[in-house]
Amino acid sequence: MDLAKYRNLFLEEATEHLAEIGQALLTLEKDPRDGAALDLVFRMMHSMKGMGASLGYDAVSELAHRLEDRLGAWRKGGGIDDGQGVAMLFRGLESLERMVAAVRDTGEPPPPDAVLLALLGDPESPKKALRLS
Amino acid sequence: MTVRVLVADDARFMRQLIRDIIEPEGFEVVGEAADGRAAVEEFSRLQPDIVTMDIVMPKRSGIDAVKEILALDPTAKVAMVSALGQEALVTEALAAGAVDYIVKPFKPDSVISTLRKIAEKAP
Repeated sequence: MDLAKYRNLFLEEATEHLAEIGQALLTLEKDPRDGAALDLVFRMMHSMKGMGASLGYDAVSELAHRLEDRLGAWRKGGGIDDGQGVAMLFRGLESLERMVAAVRDTGEPPPPDAVLLALLGDPESPKKALRLS
Repeated sequence: MTVRVLVADDARFMRQLIRDIIEPEGFEVVGEAADGRAAVEEFSRLQPDIVTMDIVMPKRSGIDAVKEILALDPTAKVAMVSALGQEALVTEALAAGAVDYIVKPFKPDSVISTLRKIAEKAP
């Protein structure tokens, strides 16, 4: 694999995805049951997971995977049923933006967000994420 | 004979990656589609030998696109592109008529062998 070529593709596409996620989160902030916005964030996280895993950016793929899982559960339930869930998604977006910036600046795999990963494994995590943000 | 492939994935990164893995091995990527609806349209237009179909796509899911493609051509050969945690969706796609699947992150040898196996299958 031509790493430099794929790193550039990742930076370009990930930046677009994160901008789209940001817009969709503003919609979800107003209406946490907006199905189109929820679908879009789910798909973008799925794509971030795939790109991150392909390049060995485990921090990106693991965080996107956990957020995708959480989004998948909300999609099945018809929307984000916890008002603080959107805060967690914003927190995830910030973390992914930092990771993409780190790849851009260093060319190296970014470090993980251990705090957020731990929160995403915790059923009480939306409340804690809100306190952290 | 060159095997003609349609690559359906909403991520440009993934479409390029599949192209770079399979073209040096003698496959020809005859088209790309960025969503499920385009995948069905491009299948009709290009009549490829194999379609690689991502599951999570906008406008129409990969699974719905497989069903539509098989309704158009029951002999179509579609390989699903799946990721970690999508086992249930892969099972659903295989039940809908997909012939096989490849897994992200891709192992190039595995992608090539899967597509060769599909190409050799009788229609």
